Amino acid sequence: MVEWTVKLEAGDPDGAWDLFVERYRRLIFAAIRHYTTEHDEVMDVFAQVCESLRADDLGRLRRYLTQRDHRARFSTWLVTVVRNLTVDWFRHRDGRQRLSAIAAELPPLQRRIFECVFADGRSHVETYELLAAHEATGLSFGAFLRELRATYRAVAARRKGALMAELWGPPPPPEVEPAVADTLAQGEQAARLSEALESLAPEDRLAIQLFVVDDLPAADVARVVGLPNAKAVYNRVYRALAELRVRLERAGISGVDL
Amino acid sequence: MSALLRATAAQPGPAGPDCLDEETIAAVVDGTMDPVARSAATGHLASCARCRGAVASVVRGLADTAVAREITAIDRGPGRRYVRFVVPALAAAALVLLLVRPRAADDGVSPHRAPTITAAAAPVPLAPVAAVAEARVLRWTAVPGADRYHVTLFDAGGRVRYEMQLADTVAALPDSVTLIPGQSYLWNVEARIGWDRWSSSPLTEFSVVAVPRR
Repeated sequence: MVEWTVKLEAGDPDGAWDLFVERYRRLIFAAIRHYTTEHDEVMDVFAQVCESLRADDLGRLRRYLTQRDHRARFSTWLVTVVRNLTVDWFRHRDGRQRLSAIAAELPPLQRRIFECVFADGRSHVETYELLAAHEATGLSFGAFLRELRATYRAVAARRKGALMAELWGPPPPPEVEPAVADTLAQGEQAARLSEALESLAPEDRLAIQLFVVDDLPAADVARVVGLPNAKAVYNRVYRALAELRVRLERAGISGVDL
Repeated sequence: MSALLRATAAQPGPAGPDCLDEETIAAVVDGTMDPVARSAATGHLASCARCRGAVASVVRGLADTAVAREITAIDRGPGRRYVRFVVPALAAAALVLLLVRPRAADDGVSPHRAPTITAAAAPVPLAPVAAVAEARVLRWTAVPGADRYHVTLFDAGGRVRYEMQLADTVAALPDSVTLIPGQSYLWNVEARIGWDRWSSSPLTEFSVVAVPRR
Protein backbone atom coordinates (compact mmCIF):
# COMPACT_ATOMS: atom_id res chain seq x y z
CA MET A 1 0.00 0.00 0.00
CA VAL A 2 1.23 3.50 -0.78
CA GLU A 3 2.55 5.43 2.21
CA TRP A 4 0.13 8.35 1.96
CA THR A 5 -2.88 6.03 2.15
CA VAL A 6 -1.44 4.39 5.27
CA LYS A 7 -1.10 7.80 6.91
CA LEU A 8 -4.64 8.73 5.89
CA GLU A 9 -6.08 5.52 7.27
CA ALA A 10 -4.08 6.07 10.47
CA GLY A 11 -5.89 9.39 10.97
CA ASP A 12 -3.05 11.69 9.93
CA PRO A 13 -4.48 13.75 7.03
CA ASP A 14 -1.69 16.35 7.20
CA GLY A 15 1.01 13.72 6.97
CA ALA A 16 -0.92 11.94 4.23
CA TRP A 17 -1.28 15.18 2.30
CA ASP A 18 2.46 15.90 2.46
CA LEU A 19 3.24 12.45 1.08
CA PHE A 20 0.48 12.70 -1.52
CA VAL A 21 1.76 16.04 -2.81
CA GLU A 22 5.32 14.75 -2.87
CA ARG A 23 4.22 11.75 -4.92
CA TYR A 24 1.73 13.33 -7.32
CA ARG A 25 2.76 17.01 -7.55
CA ARG A 26 4.57 16.59 -10.85
CA LEU A 27 1.71 14.62 -12.38
CA ILE A 28 -0.82 17.26 -11.32
CA PHE A 29 1.31 20.02 -12.83
CA ALA A 30 1.76 18.03 -16.05
CA ALA A 31 -2.00 17.45 -16.30
CA ILE A 32 -2.72 21.16 -15.79
CA ARG A 33 -0.08 22.17 -18.34
CA HIS A 34 -1.85 19.99 -20.88
CA TYR A 35 -4.54 22.66 -20.88
CA THR A 36 -2.63 25.86 -20.25
CA THR A 37 1.02 26.81 -20.14
CA GLU A 38 0.54 30.33 -18.82
CA HIS A 39 2.43 30.38 -15.54
CA ASP A 40 -0.09 32.36 -13.52
CA GLU A 41 -2.97 30.19 -14.72
CA VAL A 42 -1.04 27.00 -13.96
CA MET A 43 -0.30 28.15 -10.43
CA ASP A 44 -3.87 29.31 -9.80
CA VAL A 45 -5.33 26.04 -11.07
CA PHE A 46 -2.79 24.05 -9.02
CA ALA A 47 -3.89 25.96 -5.92
CA GLN A 48 -7.51 25.21 -6.80
CA VAL A 49 -6.75 21.49 -7.27
CA CYS A 50 -4.92 21.34 -3.94
CA GLU A 51 -7.71 23.19 -2.16
CA SER A 52 -10.32 20.86 -3.60
CA LEU A 53 -8.41 17.66 -2.82
CA ARG A 54 -7.49 18.81 0.68
CA ALA A 55 -10.96 20.03 1.63
CA ASP A 56 -12.79 18.17 4.38
CA ASP A 57 -9.63 16.40 5.59
CA LEU A 58 -8.89 15.00 2.13
CA GLY A 59 -12.52 14.02 1.73
CA ARG A 60 -12.30 13.43 -2.02
CA LEU A 61 -9.28 11.14 -1.67
CA ARG A 62 -10.85 9.45 1.34
CA ARG A 63 -14.04 8.72 -0.59
CA TYR A 64 -11.99 7.23 -3.39
CA LEU A 65 -10.08 5.00 -0.98
CA THR A 66 -13.15 3.78 0.88
CA GLN A 67 -14.77 2.39 -2.26
CA ARG A 68 -14.78 -1.37 -2.17
CA ASP A 69 -13.39 -2.00 -5.61
CA HIS A 70 -11.68 0.36 -8.00
CA ARG A 71 -12.41 0.04 -11.66
CA ALA A 72 -9.84 2.63 -12.75
CA ARG A 73 -6.19 3.19 -12.04
CA PHE A 74 -5.58 5.89 -9.43
CA SER A 75 -3.43 7.93 -11.82
CA THR A 76 -6.22 7.94 -14.44
CA TRP A 77 -8.73 8.96 -11.78
CA LEU A 78 -6.43 11.76 -10.62
CA VAL A 79 -5.91 13.04 -14.17
CA THR A 80 -9.71 13.00 -14.61
CA VAL A 81 -10.19 14.98 -11.39
CA VAL A 82 -7.51 17.50 -12.37
CA ARG A 83 -9.08 17.86 -15.81
CA ASN A 84 -12.52 18.56 -14.36
CA LEU A 85 -11.18 21.04 -11.82
CA THR A 86 -9.15 22.80 -14.53
CA VAL A 87 -12.16 23.13 -16.84
CA ASP A 88 -14.31 24.28 -13.92
CA TRP A 89 -11.73 26.89 -13.00
CA PHE A 90 -11.68 28.28 -16.54
CA ARG A 91 -15.47 28.18 -16.85
CA HIS A 92 -15.76 30.06 -13.58
CA ARG A 93 -13.14 32.62 -14.57
CA ASP A 94 -14.41 32.97 -18.13
CA GLY A 95 -18.00 33.40 -17.02
CA ARG A 96 -20.63 35.29 -18.99
CA GLN A 97 -19.09 38.64 -18.14
CA ARG A 98 -15.72 37.70 -19.59
CA LEU A 99 -17.35 36.04 -22.59
CA SER A 100 -19.26 39.24 -23.23
CA ALA A 101 -15.99 41.14 -23.22
CA ILE A 102 -14.64 38.80 -25.92
CA ALA A 103 -17.85 39.09 -27.93
CA ALA A 104 -17.78 42.86 -27.78
CA GLU A 105 -14.62 42.94 -29.88
CA LEU A 106 -16.13 40.86 -32.70
CA PRO A 107 -18.05 42.05 -35.80
CA PRO A 108 -21.86 41.78 -35.37
CA LEU A 109 -22.36 38.43 -37.16
CA GLN A 110 -19.41 36.77 -35.43
CA ARG A 111 -20.65 38.18 -32.14
CA ARG A 112 -24.00 36.42 -32.63
CA ILE A 113 -22.23 33.20 -33.66
CA PHE A 114 -20.09 33.49 -30.56
CA GLU A 115 -23.13 33.94 -28.34
CA CYS A 116 -24.96 30.98 -29.87
CA VAL A 117 -22.03 28.52 -29.92
CA PHE A 118 -19.85 29.56 -27.00
CA ALA A 119 -22.33 31.04 -24.57
CA ASP A 120 -25.51 29.08 -25.36
CA GLY A 121 -23.85 25.79 -26.40
CA ARG A 122 -25.73 25.40 -29.70
CA SER A 123 -24.40 23.13 -32.47
CA HIS A 124 -23.00 24.77 -35.58
CA VAL A 125 -25.93 23.73 -37.74
CA GLU A 126 -28.45 24.84 -35.14
CA THR A 127 -26.71 28.20 -34.94
CA TYR A 128 -26.82 28.55 -38.71
CA GLU A 129 -30.51 27.73 -38.84
CA LEU A 130 -31.27 30.23 -36.11
CA LEU A 131 -29.32 33.04 -37.75
CA ALA A 132 -30.41 32.32 -41.33
CA ALA A 133 -34.05 32.12 -40.32
CA HIS A 134 -34.24 35.24 -38.19
CA GLU A 135 -31.26 37.52 -38.29
CA ALA A 136 -29.21 36.99 -41.43
CA THR A 137 -31.59 35.87 -44.14
CA GLY A 138 -29.76 35.00 -47.30
CA LEU A 139 -26.66 33.86 -45.40
CA SER A 140 -25.27 30.83 -47.22
CA PHE A 141 -23.93 27.93 -45.21
CA GLY A 142 -20.50 28.35 -46.79
CA ALA A 143 -20.40 32.00 -45.72
CA PHE A 144 -21.59 31.00 -42.26
CA LEU A 145 -18.76 28.47 -41.92
CA ARG A 146 -16.22 31.12 -42.90
CA GLU A 147 -17.57 33.41 -40.19
CA LEU A 148 -17.64 30.50 -37.73
CA ARG A 149 -13.99 29.67 -38.39
CA ALA A 150 -13.09 33.35 -38.00
CA THR A 151 -14.92 33.37 -34.67
CA TYR A 152 -13.00 30.30 -33.46
CA ARG A 153 -9.73 31.93 -34.55
CA ALA A 154 -10.59 35.10 -32.64
CA VAL A 155 -11.33 33.10 -29.49
CA ALA A 156 -8.32 30.82 -29.97
CA ALA A 157 -6.09 33.88 -29.99
CA ARG A 158 -6.99 34.22 -26.33
CA ARG A 159 -6.92 30.61 -25.36
CA LYS A 160 -5.09 27.39 -26.15
CA GLY A 161 -6.90 25.30 -28.74
CA ALA A 162 -6.98 22.23 -26.48
CA LEU A 163 -8.76 24.13 -23.77
CA MET A 164 -11.17 25.65 -26.24
CA ALA A 165 -12.26 22.19 -27.34
CA GLU A 166 -12.74 21.30 -23.67
CA LEU A 167 -15.06 24.18 -23.12
CA TRP A 168 -16.90 24.44 -26.41
CA GLY A 169 -16.47 21.18 -28.30
CA PRO A 170 -14.51 20.46 -31.48
CA PRO A 171 -13.98 23.37 -33.90
CA PRO A 172 -15.61 23.40 -37.34
CA PRO A 173 -13.91 21.52 -40.19
CA PRO A 174 -11.27 23.61 -41.99
CA GLU A 175 -12.93 23.32 -45.38
CA VAL A 176 -16.30 21.96 -46.46
CA GLU A 177 -17.17 20.70 -49.93
CA PRO A 178 -19.96 22.63 -51.66
CA ALA A 179 -22.13 19.48 -51.67
CA VAL A 180 -21.78 19.20 -47.90
CA ALA A 181 -22.58 22.85 -47.44
CA ASP A 182 -25.67 22.48 -49.63
CA THR A 183 -26.78 19.50 -47.60
CA LEU A 184 -26.29 21.24 -44.31
CA ALA A 185 -27.85 24.45 -45.53
CA GLN A 186 -31.16 22.64 -45.60
CA GLY A 187 -31.94 22.44 -41.96
CA GLU A 188 -34.40 19.61 -42.40
CA GLN A 189 -31.72 17.43 -43.96
CA ALA A 190 -29.28 18.25 -41.18
CA ALA A 191 -31.95 17.14 -38.72
CA ARG A 192 -32.33 13.90 -40.69
CA LEU A 193 -28.59 13.34 -40.40
CA SER A 194 -28.84 13.70 -36.63
CA GLU A 195 -31.80 11.34 -36.58
CA ALA A 196 -29.96 8.79 -38.72
CA LEU A 197 -26.96 8.99 -36.41
CA GLU A 198 -29.14 8.53 -33.36
CA SER A 199 -30.76 5.47 -34.91
CA LEU A 200 -27.43 3.63 -34.88
CA ALA A 201 -26.53 1.32 -31.99
CA PRO A 202 -24.93 3.29 -29.11
CA GLU A 203 -21.58 1.48 -29.56
CA ASP A 204 -21.49 2.40 -33.27
CA ARG A 205 -22.50 5.98 -32.61
CA LEU A 206 -19.91 6.35 -29.88
CA ALA A 207 -17.18 4.82 -32.06
CA ILE A 208 -18.01 7.26 -34.88
CA GLN A 209 -18.13 10.24 -32.57
CA LEU A 210 -14.84 9.45 -30.84
CA PHE A 211 -12.97 8.39 -33.97
CA VAL A 212 -14.37 10.80 -36.58
CA VAL A 213 -15.54 13.86 -34.64
CA ASP A 214 -13.15 13.85 -31.67
CA ASP A 215 -10.30 12.45 -33.78
CA LEU A 216 -9.05 10.03 -31.11
CA PRO A 217 -6.58 7.28 -32.10
CA ALA A 218 -8.29 3.99 -32.99
CA ALA A 219 -6.49 2.12 -30.21
CA ASP A 220 -7.93 4.50 -27.61
CA VAL A 221 -11.40 4.26 -29.12
CA ALA A 222 -11.13 0.47 -28.96
CA ARG A 223 -10.43 0.60 -25.24
CA VAL A 224 -13.28 3.03 -24.52
CA VAL A 225 -15.90 1.22 -26.60
CA GLY A 226 -14.72 -2.25 -25.58
CA LEU A 227 -13.41 -3.51 -28.90
CA PRO A 228 -10.38 -5.82 -29.05
CA ASN A 229 -8.07 -3.61 -31.12
CA ALA A 230 -7.71 -0.68 -33.52
CA LYS A 231 -8.58 -2.81 -36.53
CA ALA A 232 -11.93 -3.67 -34.98
CA VAL A 233 -12.58 0.07 -34.65
CA TYR A 234 -11.83 0.65 -38.33
CA ASN A 235 -14.21 -2.16 -39.27
CA ARG A 236 -16.92 -0.99 -36.90
CA VAL A 237 -16.75 2.64 -38.02
CA TYR A 238 -16.61 1.65 -41.69
CA ARG A 239 -19.70 -0.52 -41.35
CA ALA A 240 -21.54 2.09 -39.27
CA LEU A 241 -20.81 4.83 -41.81
CA ALA A 242 -22.04 2.58 -44.60
CA GLU A 243 -25.24 1.99 -42.66
CA LEU A 244 -25.53 5.71 -42.03
CA ARG A 245 -25.15 6.39 -45.77
CA VAL A 246 -27.96 3.96 -46.57
CA ARG A 247 -30.25 5.60 -44.05
CA LEU A 248 -29.42 9.07 -45.34
CA GLU A 249 -30.09 8.03 -48.91
CA ARG A 250 -33.43 6.64 -47.82
CA ALA A 251 -34.11 10.00 -46.21
CA GLY A 252 -33.34 11.78 -49.44
CA ILE A 253 -29.79 12.91 -48.70
CA SER A 254 -27.40 11.81 -51.41
CA GLY A 255 -24.55 13.13 -53.49
CA VAL A 256 -22.36 13.75 -50.48
CA ASP A 257 -19.18 11.75 -50.04
CA LEU A 258 -20.05 9.74 -46.99
CA MET B 1 -18.18 12.81 -43.67
CA SER B 2 -16.28 14.31 -40.77
CA ALA B 3 -17.41 17.74 -41.97
CA LEU B 4 -21.04 16.67 -41.79
CA LEU B 5 -20.66 15.02 -38.43
CA ARG B 6 -18.65 17.84 -36.91
CA ALA B 7 -21.05 20.47 -38.12
CA THR B 8 -23.98 18.67 -36.55
CA ALA B 9 -22.15 17.63 -33.36
CA ALA B 10 -23.82 18.82 -30.19
CA GLN B 11 -21.88 21.21 -27.97
CA PRO B 12 -21.27 20.17 -24.34
CA GLY B 13 -24.25 21.11 -22.21
CA PRO B 14 -24.69 21.37 -18.43
CA ALA B 15 -24.19 18.29 -16.26
CA GLY B 16 -27.28 16.15 -15.76
CA PRO B 17 -28.20 13.63 -13.06
CA ASP B 18 -27.14 10.71 -15.28
CA CYS B 19 -23.73 12.16 -16.11
CA LEU B 20 -20.79 9.89 -15.33
CA ASP B 21 -18.74 10.44 -12.17
CA GLU B 22 -14.98 10.77 -12.25
CA GLU B 23 -14.17 7.17 -11.46
CA THR B 24 -16.54 5.91 -14.14
CA ILE B 25 -14.98 8.23 -16.71
CA ALA B 26 -11.52 7.03 -15.62
CA ALA B 27 -12.63 3.39 -15.86
CA VAL B 28 -14.07 3.99 -19.34
CA VAL B 29 -10.75 5.50 -20.38
CA ASP B 30 -8.80 2.62 -18.82
CA GLY B 31 -11.12 0.10 -20.47
CA THR B 32 -11.53 -1.74 -17.19
CA MET B 33 -15.31 -1.84 -16.80
CA ASP B 34 -17.32 -5.02 -16.70
CA PRO B 35 -19.62 -5.55 -19.72
CA VAL B 36 -22.82 -4.50 -17.94
CA ALA B 37 -21.37 -1.27 -16.57
CA ARG B 38 -19.68 -0.55 -19.89
CA SER B 39 -22.94 -0.96 -21.78
CA ALA B 40 -24.67 1.54 -19.50
CA ALA B 41 -21.79 3.99 -19.80
CA THR B 42 -21.67 3.61 -23.60
CA GLY B 43 -25.40 4.34 -23.87
CA HIS B 44 -24.91 7.56 -21.92
CA LEU B 45 -21.72 8.59 -23.74
CA ALA B 46 -23.36 8.14 -27.13
CA SER B 47 -25.91 10.82 -26.26
CA CYS B 48 -24.07 13.14 -23.84
CA ALA B 49 -21.59 15.53 -25.46
CA ARG B 50 -20.38 16.70 -22.06
CA CYS B 51 -19.32 13.26 -20.78
CA ARG B 52 -18.01 12.19 -24.17
CA GLY B 53 -15.93 15.35 -24.27
CA ALA B 54 -14.58 14.52 -20.81
CA VAL B 55 -13.58 11.01 -21.92
CA ALA B 56 -11.89 12.34 -25.06
CA SER B 57 -10.16 14.98 -22.99
CA VAL B 58 -8.77 12.50 -20.46
CA VAL B 59 -7.59 10.22 -23.27
CA ARG B 60 -5.70 13.15 -24.80
CA GLY B 61 -4.40 14.18 -21.40
CA LEU B 62 -2.98 10.73 -20.69
CA ALA B 63 -1.35 10.70 -24.14
CA ASP B 64 0.41 13.98 -23.35
CA THR B 65 4.12 13.14 -23.22
CA ALA B 66 4.70 14.94 -19.93
CA VAL B 67 1.69 13.30 -18.25
CA ALA B 68 2.66 9.85 -19.52
CA ARG B 69 6.21 10.35 -18.29
CA GLU B 70 5.05 11.31 -14.79
CA ILE B 71 2.69 8.33 -14.58
CA THR B 72 5.52 6.03 -15.64
CA ALA B 73 7.76 7.60 -12.99
CA ILE B 74 5.10 7.08 -10.31
CA ASP B 75 4.55 3.48 -11.36
CA ARG B 76 8.26 2.78 -11.24
CA GLY B 77 8.51 4.12 -7.72
CA PRO B 78 10.38 6.88 -5.94
CA GLY B 79 13.78 5.57 -6.89
CA ARG B 80 13.15 5.99 -10.57
CA ARG B 81 15.18 9.12 -11.07
CA TYR B 82 18.03 7.59 -9.11
CA VAL B 83 17.61 4.49 -11.25
CA ARG B 84 18.11 6.58 -14.34
CA PHE B 85 21.60 7.39 -13.13
CA VAL B 86 22.57 3.88 -12.19
CA VAL B 87 20.81 1.95 -14.95
CA PRO B 88 23.71 2.23 -17.39
CA ALA B 89 26.19 1.15 -14.71
CA LEU B 90 23.99 -1.75 -13.63
CA ALA B 91 23.48 -2.77 -17.23
CA ALA B 92 27.21 -2.83 -17.78
CA ALA B 93 27.72 -4.87 -14.60
CA ALA B 94 25.01 -7.31 -15.67
CA LEU B 95 26.66 -7.68 -19.03
CA VAL B 96 29.99 -8.49 -17.40
CA LEU B 97 28.35 -11.07 -15.13
CA LEU B 98 26.61 -12.62 -18.10
CA LEU B 99 29.84 -12.92 -20.00
CA VAL B 100 31.95 -14.38 -17.18
CA ARG B 101 29.25 -16.66 -15.70
CA PRO B 102 30.06 -20.35 -16.34
CA ARG B 103 27.30 -21.95 -18.39
CA ALA B 104 25.62 -24.92 -16.76
CA ALA B 105 24.35 -27.84 -18.79
CA ASP B 106 20.87 -27.23 -17.43
CA ASP B 107 19.85 -23.67 -16.64
CA GLY B 108 17.00 -24.92 -14.50
CA VAL B 109 14.36 -23.57 -16.85
CA SER B 110 11.32 -25.79 -17.05
CA PRO B 111 10.85 -27.17 -20.54
CA HIS B 112 7.10 -26.66 -20.08
CA ARG B 113 7.40 -22.96 -19.58
CA ALA B 114 6.81 -20.78 -22.60
CA PRO B 115 9.03 -17.78 -23.20
CA THR B 116 7.88 -14.65 -21.42
CA ILE B 117 5.99 -12.07 -23.41
CA THR B 118 8.76 -9.59 -22.69
CA ALA B 119 11.38 -11.91 -24.11
CA ALA B 120 9.27 -12.74 -27.11
CA ALA B 121 8.13 -9.27 -28.03
CA ALA B 122 10.83 -6.77 -27.14
CA PRO B 123 11.92 -4.20 -29.70
CA VAL B 124 15.50 -4.49 -30.92
CA PRO B 125 17.62 -1.37 -31.42
CA LEU B 126 18.87 -1.25 -35.02
CA ALA B 127 20.81 1.97 -35.15
CA PRO B 128 22.91 3.54 -33.85
CA VAL B 129 24.84 0.65 -32.36
CA ALA B 130 28.56 0.67 -31.42
CA ALA B 131 30.72 3.24 -33.20
CA VAL B 132 28.92 5.20 -35.89
CA ALA B 133 29.77 8.19 -38.06
CA GLU B 134 26.44 9.88 -37.41
CA ALA B 135 23.53 9.34 -35.05
CA ARG B 136 20.70 11.76 -35.64
CA VAL B 137 18.06 9.05 -35.95
CA LEU B 138 17.23 6.15 -33.62
CA ARG B 139 15.72 3.08 -35.30
CA TRP B 140 14.40 -0.15 -33.85
CA THR B 141 12.38 -3.17 -34.89
CA ALA B 142 8.60 -3.08 -34.76
CA VAL B 143 6.84 -5.24 -32.20
CA PRO B 144 3.63 -6.93 -33.39
CA GLY B 145 0.64 -5.42 -31.64
CA ALA B 146 2.57 -2.51 -30.15
CA ASP B 147 0.80 0.81 -30.60
CA ARG B 148 3.38 3.07 -28.98
CA TYR B 149 7.09 3.19 -28.31
CA HIS B 150 8.97 5.05 -25.60
CA VAL B 151 12.56 5.75 -26.49
CA THR B 152 15.13 7.13 -24.04
CA LEU B 153 18.68 8.29 -24.72
CA PHE B 154 21.16 8.51 -21.83
CA ASP B 155 24.60 9.99 -21.73
CA ALA B 156 27.53 8.17 -20.12
CA GLY B 157 26.63 9.65 -16.73
CA GLY B 158 23.13 8.19 -16.88
CA ARG B 159 21.43 11.51 -17.52
CA VAL B 160 18.46 11.46 -19.84
CA ARG B 161 19.35 13.45 -22.95
CA TYR B 162 16.22 12.69 -24.95
CA GLU B 163 12.92 10.98 -24.33
CA MET B 164 9.95 10.55 -26.62
CA GLN B 165 6.79 8.51 -27.05
CA LEU B 166 5.65 7.84 -30.58
CA ALA B 167 3.88 5.32 -32.75
CA ASP B 168 6.67 5.02 -35.32
CA THR B 169 9.84 2.90 -35.06
CA VAL B 170 12.08 5.83 -35.94
CA ALA B 171 12.86 8.84 -33.77
CA ALA B 172 14.79 11.80 -35.11
CA LEU B 173 16.84 13.58 -32.49
CA PRO B 174 16.00 17.29 -32.32
CA ASP B 175 18.74 19.84 -32.97
CA SER B 176 18.78 20.66 -29.28
CA VAL B 177 20.33 17.25 -28.58
CA THR B 178 24.01 17.45 -29.42
CA LEU B 179 26.12 14.30 -29.34
CA ILE B 180 29.78 14.80 -28.56
CA PRO B 181 32.10 12.73 -30.77
CA GLY B 182 34.05 10.11 -28.86
CA GLN B 183 31.65 9.98 -25.91
CA SER B 184 29.53 6.93 -25.15
CA TYR B 185 25.73 7.07 -25.12
CA LEU B 186 23.13 4.46 -24.24
CA TRP B 187 19.57 4.12 -25.41
CA ASN B 188 16.68 1.78 -25.08
CA VAL B 189 13.15 1.58 -26.35
CA GLU B 190 10.01 0.22 -24.74
CA ALA B 191 7.04 -1.04 -26.75
CA ARG B 192 3.51 -0.81 -25.38
CA ILE B 193 2.06 -4.24 -25.99
CA GLY B 194 -1.13 -3.82 -24.01
CA TRP B 195 -2.78 -1.44 -21.65
CA ASP B 196 0.01 -0.41 -19.31
CA ARG B 197 2.17 -3.32 -20.46
CA TRP B 198 5.55 -2.46 -21.90
CA SER B 199 8.38 -4.62 -23.14
CA SER B 200 11.83 -3.11 -23.10
CA SER B 201 14.84 -3.53 -25.32
CA PRO B 202 18.26 -3.96 -23.73
CA LEU B 203 20.35 -0.84 -23.23
CA THR B 204 22.40 -0.30 -26.33
CA GLU B 205 25.66 1.60 -26.36
CA PHE B 206 26.99 3.70 -29.17
CA SER B 207 29.42 6.50 -29.79
CA VAL B 208 29.86 8.94 -32.62
CA VAL B 209 33.26 8.65 -34.25
CA ALA B 210 35.07 11.93 -34.67
CA VAL B 211 35.64 12.47 -38.38
CA PRO B 212 39.05 14.09 -38.94
CA ARG B 213 38.89 17.34 -40.88
CA ARG B 214 40.66 17.43 -44.20
